[in-house]
Amino acid sequence: MHSTNKQGLFNWLAARFPVREFSERHLTGYYAPRNFNFWYYFGSFSLLVLVNQIVTGIWLAMEYTPTAESAFASVQHIMRDVHYGWLLRLMHTTGASAFFIVVYLHMYRALIYGSYRKPRELLWLIGMLIYITLLLEAFTGYVLPWGQMSYWGATVITSFASAIPYVGKYLVVWLRGDFTVSGVTLHRFFSLHVIAVPLVLCALVFLHLVALHYVGSNNPDGIEIKEHKNSSGHPIDGIPFHPYYTLKDLVGVMVFLIIFSLILFYTPKMGGLFLESENYLPVNALQTPEHIAPVWYMTPFYAILRAVPNKFLGLVAMAAAIALMFVLPWLDRSKVKSIRYKGVWSKAAIVLFIICFVGLGYLGIQPVSTLRSFMAQVFSIGYFLFYLTMPFYTRYEKTKPLPERLTK
Amino acid sequence: MMKYFLLLIALICSSVNCLAEETQIALDHAPIQVNDIASIKRGAKFFATTCMACHTLIYMRYNSLAEEAGVTYDRMPINVKNWPLNVTPPDLSLEADVRGVDWIYTYLHSFYADPSRPTGVNNLLVPNTAMPGIVAALQGQQVFATDMRASRRYFGGHLQWYDELILQSQGALSPQQFDASMTDVVNFLYYSAEPYRAEQNRLGYWVIGFLLILWAMMYYLKKNYWKDIEK
Repeated sequence: MHSTNKQGLFNWLAARFPVREFSERHLTGYYAPRNFNFWYYFGSFSLLVLVNQIVTGIWLAMEYTPTAESAFASVQHIMRDVHYGWLLRLMHTTGASAFFIVVYLHMYRALIYGSYRKPRELLWLIGMLIYITLLLEAFTGYVLPWGQMSYWGATVITSFASAIPYVGKYLVVWLRGDFTVSGVTLHRFFSLHVIAVPLVLCALVFLHLVALHYVGSNNPDGIEIKEHKNSSGHPIDGIPFHPYYTLKDLVGVMVFLIIFSLILFYTPKMGGLFLESENYLPVNALQTPEHIAPVWYMTPFYAILRAVPNKFLGLVAMAAAIALMFVLPWLDRSKVKSIRYKGVWSKAAIVLFIICFVGLGYLGIQPVSTLRSFMAQVFSIGYFLFYLTMPFYTRYEKTKPLPERLTK
Repeated sequence: MMKYFLLLIALICSSVNCLAEETQIALDHAPIQVNDIASIKRGAKFFATTCMACHTLIYMRYNSLAEEAGVTYDRMPINVKNWPLNVTPPDLSLEADVRGVDWIYTYLHSFYADPSRPTGVNNLLVPNTAMPGIVAALQGQQVFATDMRASRRYFGGHLQWYDELILQSQGALSPQQFDASMTDVVNFLYYSAEPYRAEQNRLGYWVIGFLLILWAMMYYLKKNYWKDIEK
């Protein structure tokens, strides 16, 4: 009786909504390559962190006050007076950094296995838009606690716009809604952070998944599993996403959550990397901190900006650094997708690129010195050379022969 | 006139900055025991009887604390408008987050007599600090040992406060008692910055324990399902 009732409800729903088709298309009937390795966890992790940010964000917004007078105090109210408010906020702050960690690793995966190559160029472009939106979301969110670093970080970053010739100075006022960063800026950033940007983010994530499930997942071998299908029309080297990868991802999620909890419960500041000590001081518009740096996930680009002596050209360099990531699918001319079959030049290029990117990230956190500026210039050149010489080394290097089927 | 005045202020500020670079000392280690509730309570008592004459602790609901103790709110430091030297004593609720416990511990130890200052004291960690010699009554009078400073600095590395200061006359507390007292108040400030920390650390064990069990379950479930894939 009980089971027939349940069946009845399901049938009722299925007659009115494509539940069966949906789960067939995206879960049980979505065939993913059977050889996903460690690097393939980070897509699911990103989705998990997105949910975490939205859920904790909803609860934080219930107690947070977006005014210059009470923003700082309302954060302390959340930390001290709201039941488990500290937990919600630390989940949100740890989640912000975790988001970038998993997204950077997710992008690295795409980079090494050529997941941006045909037919996944659009998938990569949507992903890049997600990344930009995420940077915007993180920046607007970082301003909300209204501490010293919130204020001065917002001042520095919005002032980038002033470097644009002619319209720059009007643009800055338009962005801030005031002649300096003020309560007006805070209030609009709150609005952007809780509704405008998340809405765009969710829409883009949806499109990312639609595009992914249409073209199918790439794999560590960088060959198309759809080229070998069995009699029922499924790829021989593919396995249904559910239950195989849902379960595998759940195992990964547990490991991720354990590491996440270790940070959250025992070192949520990560030595000033996730939460800067300067931001425990309320805004003082008359006192500039000795050293202003954005949070770690923005510092590679900040370091490129600072490496160029001219402010406007620095801005151009920073924009170019991000723009080059967008055109990556058209820079790679290799016959193969995956690093496994690429030549020694590509391998060396990726190693050098990672050194440059991480190096820039490190330098962006540090105060400027002569040596550090020089290193930042060297790493910036390395960063750009990776992209700009890619059409040549990928085209002319000797690649290994591709296997017919997945190797494991 | 205003221009010169501003210029003068700028010059003073920049010279203070230079001095800060010059006299920077190494941070001592604050030997706090975060789970020592008795120490936190002693520190709270010390704070309420000594520091609270000037410093607020707004996020610790210090006003209700004071009301319970019979102090009227209108006489609390938060209502004082004109402070000597025009420096409002900072609120200390988040001081341990901003500076770190070692910084506070070192700061409280590095006062020394300096007749050139209006307060009569100076501080190694924060040169020309506006804070008067409150701790001197307990710690005693410390003086600057110039000769040691010159010779030790030459070999590089930062000096500790006790390398540069000599205790000339002992105050109400012995050096050991003073250290213990400062440890207590630093421990209290560490608690005040994040009063939820004990709960946070305790909850962490349960969450991670739960996740480990869940991980083991998921691991075997996955392994079971994947049997037919991994031949």
